[in-house]
Parts: sequence; structure tokens; C-alpha cells
Amino acid sequence: METLTELQWIFDVLTGCGLLWLAWSCLSSRNLHRAVVQFVSFGLLMSLAWVRLEAPDIALAEAAIGAGLTGALLMASLARLPLSGSADIRALKSAERIAGARLLQLLRNSLLFAFALFIIYAIFFLPPEFSGLREEVATEIENAGVRNPVTAVLLNFRGYDTFLELLVLLGALFGVRIVGMQPVRTSMTSEPVLNILASLLTPILILVAAYLLWIGTDGAGGAFQAGAVLGAGGVLLLLAGWRPARALMASPFRSLVLLGPLAFVFVAVLPLLSGRALLQYPPDSAGTLIVLLEIAATLSIGLTLCALFLNVSADDGEQP
Amino acid sequence: MNALLPYTLTGVGLFCLGLHALLTHPHLLRKILAVNVMGSGVFLILVALAKRSDSPVPDPVPQALVITGIVVAVAATALALNLLLGLAASSGKAELAEDLDE
Amino acid sequence: MAPMILTLPWGVALIVMPVVGALACYLFRRAAKPLGLMTVTVTALSAAGLALRTTRADSYHHAVGGWGAPLGIELYADGLSVLMLVATAIVACAISFYAARFFDDKEQARFWPLWLLLLTAMNALFLSRDLFNMYVALELTGLAAVALTALTGSQDALSGAIRYLLATMLGSLAYLLGVVFIYHGYGTLDLAMLGQLVESNPVTWLALGLVSAGLALKTALFPLHFWLPPAHASATPPVSAALSALVVKTAFYVLLRFWLEIFPSEGAAPAQLFGLLGCAAVFWGGVQALRARRLKLLIAYSTVMQIGYLFIAFPLGILLAWHGALYLLLSHALAKAAMFLAAGNVLYYGGHDRIADLDHVAQRLPLTVAAFALAGVSIMGLPPSGGFVAKWLLIQASLDTGQWWWTVPILAGSLVAAAYVFKVVGFAFTQAEAPQEAKLVPVSMQWTALVLAVAAIALGLIAPWTLTWLDVGDPFSGAVSR
Repeated sequence: METLTELQWIFDVLTGCGLLWLAWSCLSSRNLHRAVVQFVSFGLLMSLAWVRLEAPDIALAEAAIGAGLTGALLMASLARLPLSGSADIRALKSAERIAGARLLQLLRNSLLFAFALFIIYAIFFLPPEFSGLREEVATEIENAGVRNPVTAVLLNFRGYDTFLELLVLLGALFGVRIVGMQPVRTSMTSEPVLNILASLLTPILILVAAYLLWIGTDGAGGAFQAGAVLGAGGVLLLLAGWRPARALMASPFRSLVLLGPLAFVFVAVLPLLSGRALLQYPPDSAGTLIVLLEIAATLSIGLTLCALFLNVSADDGEQP
Repeated sequence: MNALLPYTLTGVGLFCLGLHALLTHPHLLRKILAVNVMGSGVFLILVALAKRSDSPVPDPVPQALVITGIVVAVAATALALNLLLGLAASSGKAELAEDLDE
Repeated sequence: MAPMILTLPWGVALIVMPVVGALACYLFRRAAKPLGLMTVTVTALSAAGLALRTTRADSYHHAVGGWGAPLGIELYADGLSVLMLVATAIVACAISFYAARFFDDKEQARFWPLWLLLLTAMNALFLSRDLFNMYVALELTGLAAVALTALTGSQDALSGAIRYLLATMLGSLAYLLGVVFIYHGYGTLDLAMLGQLVESNPVTWLALGLVSAGLALKTALFPLHFWLPPAHASATPPVSAALSALVVKTAFYVLLRFWLEIFPSEGAAPAQLFGLLGCAAVFWGGVQALRARRLKLLIAYSTVMQIGYLFIAFPLGILLAWHGALYLLLSHALAKAAMFLAAGNVLYYGGHDRIADLDHVAQRLPLTVAAFALAGVSIMGLPPSGGFVAKWLLIQASLDTGQWWWTVPILAGSLVAAAYVFKVVGFAFTQAEAPQEAKLVPVSMQWTALVLAVAAIALGLIAPWTLTWLDVGDPFSGAVSR
């Protein structure tokens, strides 16, 4: 037992160092392409750290969203940036040569270092024993309708946060529509490997999404992870050159994107009519309502993430 | 205390590394990466510190908060990348003009 | 009638109504304008309902999901929240009716969903007492505001927006890290519970430092204001009005809540620092406003300056000072929105906002110039405006606490403000040949600006009533008592 904990400790230290090294090289490597690749590896190593911290729900979300979709977004954007990757480091180096900049740099770095030290100092003043809200969650979990405590917090105890969070995602989509970039029009249809991969993987990803959604009430998983996997499937299809028909992109798309927030509004307001509080599910149907909410949220999240990737207002004839 | 230290310290390190890169790098894509790394640092601290007790069941609230945070982060990143692409398309640059002068 | 007002869930309506409106505007884009206007009106009525309810009864509580703190999230509104909500409702109505004329059809469809989401986020923030919920609301506010900044898609707007986004993300992360330490130190996210538990130790100092720094960045306190002038000056005028009048105040509101709950136990050094930075902001914002050659940039720097005044209340710390700061916030919201909308009229009319070329504007847009001048009266702090009452309260508070030196920046700032207001008004009265291609400004747009400016003046006349109302639910119990 002793050696096992020691081994684990060594593993944790190594993971931590690996994370720091990947972050450092991602933020300072000369090549932006390499930086993005390192960022994705960073995300994957983060998932490993989450597993070690007994947070499988986050590990899934991190792998799908943090590493997967953010990585895809970064890659796609990088491909469309006019500048080559090394220009920024050159500019940085020339800026550093300016007289006095050295001193400023030294000052800034030592301030940052002192800041880090103070954080670490403060950590030792935290109460040694911490249970947070674990007991509160444990007492009420029977009335929450789901058995996975993380899902219970996300969709029941703090469901209001999740509602606002769906709106954040929606706000990003509206914002992307405003900037109104041209869609990615690369001729990737001629890549048979990618095509085969997409046609093989997409059904699997849809199945994985459904599984994550279903298991989320009891085990690790839930709407965000499932939505992210669904989004990843969509991104894969988009990469393979698949473009949805315009008719599909119009109002059906818009209604589906709004499905999650709309379902939330509906479920939130309904209890008010019978004198209960906002988002207060009737105890016996809490489980069903949460599952319905999760299905709606999954579809919304998946589609929104896809649309964000497509970088375009994917709903009308405004753009070519 | 011992067991949670590696990840907590990593989180602190990530936050500071990200902050340093955000302040020094003129390229906007690099700044966006930096903010994401900072975010990961905050999330790591939040969950790692929750393991201070001996209880076998971890506190689920920090985990739920982190999942919310990850989704918020990807939304902000998507918006930032789009603004960046728009700026790059209209100005040909992926940097903020005055950054080097400041 | 009365019992119904007391029982309806007004706070919930303030959040749900604009969400439904935003979704509807996105789904039915051709009808976005009427849907949006309707939503804003209904939301404003809900704010009025909540205000009536709190004056008749007491503060408003609503445990979302029925769980209650600390497990769940509670909506909460006392006089302070209601004041912010009502100010938001009034300014939002004015901006909405202005925007309905200002934008063309294509822009309408893009503007309304985001604008209503922004309204949701601000309402949610003012009703929140949960630290993480505030984080999500702040992020929603920031994201929607950034997207609106980029609405015109011009190069300036895009670069202003992305700078704004990075600043607001950094601010949020600092705030979130502070909240992380609060949660791990005290095991709760509820601000009121935290106020009971908090004690002085390095964890608290770190958390408060991070929270304060993040929120100071988001509210653009000098020297963390660098992102504000480019964003507020390059956004389209109705959006600039919303950003300057409302959005920067959201972070200030959160900071104020933190301060009132937690800081009283925390010594005076940070308060003095805030006061000094506030003075520097008054000075720096004033000088930059005087130097500005474009009208919108001038108004943006004026915001940096006015934010500075808000922070002078911190070292004073007594009830009078908080009343003064809140009154300044309120009158600035009205006056600054009026100024940006007036600037919007000038832009609409002449296609530019160069101050030196504002000739002829006074003859062609008399209502607009009147609006700008009246808003200027409140910004300067001349009687009987709301700005005057605010500065009077602040000066009174500094004399009462024996810290007379804070009156110097307050009075000097008024002189600087007078200088830059007259700079604009002076140029507007220059006589010159008729402009080349002037565009007729719709009368409703001119009146909207004027009504807001008159409201900023009238605020001075209803001060006693407003101040009593502000104390409902005793939000300032954390104020220093002498």
C-alpha cells in the first residue's frame, strides 16, 4: 500500500511537470502550428490529471471540449490566418531589445513570481479538513432524480447556472454571426481517407454521445460531454467536406440550436404556475425532466459547437 | 495535504505561465492560448484542493463548476478566434496595433 | 391589486422575459425589431413591479429550484439591486427605442438577440448573490458586450472588441480564482453566508485581492482602463451607450457587494489604494478627454474619469459616501447614455464625430446639442442635477470623516469636466457653410437623447425619495459607522 501511494505520488508529480512543460512550450514555441498541437496534447494530459483527481466527468468534458473542439477551432483558425507562425516570436524578440525593456521585464517577472509564491503561501492557511458541500449534496441526492452527484449539481441544485451557461454558448454563436466570416471552403472532398474515417466514425460518435447521455444520470457523463462528442462528429463531417443542404440550415437548424435553452425556459417556468420556485421539479418526475433537459441540451450544444466551428451564420442566404 | 500538492502547484504554475504569456506575446492567437492555459490552471486548483478530506467520495460541486467553466471557456475562445479572423482579414495582422508601443 | 404585486415573481420575470425575447428574435429575424421592443418594455414593467414590491414589502428572495443556499442558488433583491435593475431598465428602454431607428434591417436582426441576452445577463447579475453564478453572469455580460462592440465589423471595432474580450476574460479568471479560494476557505458560494463566516487570514487577503483586481479590470479603474476607450469609442453609438452607461457598472456592483459584505473586517489599506487610483482616474480620464479630437473618444475617457469618482467612496466608507457613489452611478448611467446617443445623432447627421468640425450642428440638431449640454451639466455636477447631489454627498462624507483632501479631486474633476463639455458645445455653435451631405436625423432619436439628459437632471430633484428607497433591505449595513 505504501509503495502504491508513493508510485501514485511520483506519477502525479510527473503529470504536473508534463503539464507545465507542455504549457510552457505551447506558449513559447516559435511555430504557431506546433503551439496548437502542443495545446491539444496539453488538453489530453489534463484529462489524465482529471482522472487521477477522481473527476471522470471533467476528464470527459476536457477531452471532448478542452482538447478536441478547442483544438479543432484553433487549427481551423490558424489555417486561415495570413501570417506565418514565427512572426510573433520575432516581433517579441525585437521588442525585448529596446533599452529599458529588460528592466521592465525583470520587474514584471519578479512580480509574477512573488504572486505565485503568495498563492502557495495562502494555500497552507486553508482549513486542513474540507468537505465543502459534499454533505448537503449527499443528503439531497435522493430527491434530485439522478444518482450521479455531478449531474445532480449541474442540472438540479445549480441548474440555473447551467441555464445561463447555455446562454453563454448561444451568445458566442450570435457573436460569431455578427462577425460573419466566410465559411471554410476548402476542397477536402478529394481526401478518401478522411471520407472513410468520417463515415465510419460519425455513427460511432453518435452512439457514444447517446451512451454518455444515458449513463450520465448514474455514472460519468451527461449533456455537455455528449453534446461535445456530437459536436466533434459534426466537425469531422464538416472537415470531410460535407455541407448540409441550405434548406436544412435555415429554420430547422435555428430551432434545434434553441432547443436546449427553450426546454430550460419551459421546465423552469412551469413550476411557477403551480406556486413552486423557478426550476423546482416535481419530486417524482425530476428524473424524467432532467433526462429530457439533457437530450435537448445535448442537441443544442452539439449543433452550436458545430456552428461555431463552421465560423459562419449557418442559417440564411446572407452569405454566399 | 501532501497528495494534493502536485496538482495544486501545477495549477498555480499554469495560471502564472498563462498570465506571463498573455502580457508578453503580441500575437493574438498566442494570447488566446494563454487565457485557456490560465483557465485550466484555475480549474485544476479548484478540483485539486477539494481532495483535502479523507472521504472516499469527492465533493461534486467543484467538478460541476469546472464543467460549466470549460463550456464558458470554449464559447469565449470561439468568439475570440472569430474576432481575430475578422481582424486579420481586414487588417492583414493578427496583433493589436499599440501593443509594442505600450 | 396590491397583494398581486406582492406575490408575483418579478425577479424571475426580469430574467426569463429577455431570454424568451432573445430566442424569439433569433428565430423570427424579420420581426426582430417589434419583438425586441416589446420584450424590453415588458422587462421594464417587471423592473417597475419589483420596485413597487420592495417598497411595499421588504427585500425579494427566490430560491431557484427550491433548494436554497448553500446547496442551491438564491435570487435576491434589496434596494441596491432594485436601483441597478431600474436604472438598467430605463436606459435599456431608451437605447432600444433609439436603436430601432438607428440600425438598418440587417443590423436589427443581429442586434436584438445579443442585446436581449446582454439585458438578461445584467438582470441576472443584479439579482444574484451566489459567487459562481455571478461569474457566469459576468461572462455572459462580457461576451454579449464584446459581440455587440464588433457589430459594425469595422477594423477599429474588431480590434477594440478583441482587446475588450481579452481584458474581460482575464478579469473573469482573476475573479474566479478568488472565488475558488473563498470556496475552499469557507465552504460556501453564498455571499451573505460568507459575510458571516469570513475572518482575516492570508486566504481571505488573496481571494479579495484577486476578486478586486479582476473586477477593477472589468470596470476599467485606472490604470486597468486601457481597453475601455478603444472599445467604447469604436462601437456603434447605441452600443457605446449601453457599454458606458451599464456594462462597466456591473463589475463595480459586484465589487461593491463584496466590499459591503466582507471588507469591513479588512482594514483600511485597500480602501486607500482604491481612493488613490480613483483620483488618478479622475485626473487621467479628464486630461485625455480634453485632448481627444473625436467626440466618442472624449465621452469614453469621460467614463474612465467618472468611474474614478465611484472609487473615492471606498476610503470614506460611511453610508453617506455609498449613497453618493450610487447616486453618481445612477446619474452617470443616464447622462452618459444621453451623451453617446447625442454623439450618435451627430454621426448619423454628418457621418463623422470630429469635434473641430462640429460646426452647424447646433442649428441643425438643436435638441441633440441641448441633450449633450444638459447631460454635461450632470457630468460636471452642477445643481440641480443628479451629478450634483452625488458630488455633494461625497464631499459631505469626506468632511464628516475628516478626510477633507478627497474633496480636491472631486471639485477639480468638475472643472475639467466643464472644460471638455464646453469644448464640444463651443464647436457645435461655430458658424460655417452648410455641410456637404447631411442626413436627416429622425426626431425620435433626438428626443430619446434629450429625455435621458432631462432624467439625469431630474434625478437631483427626487434625491430624498430615491435615497430612502435605496436603503430597503439595508444593503449598506456593512458601511463604516462613526
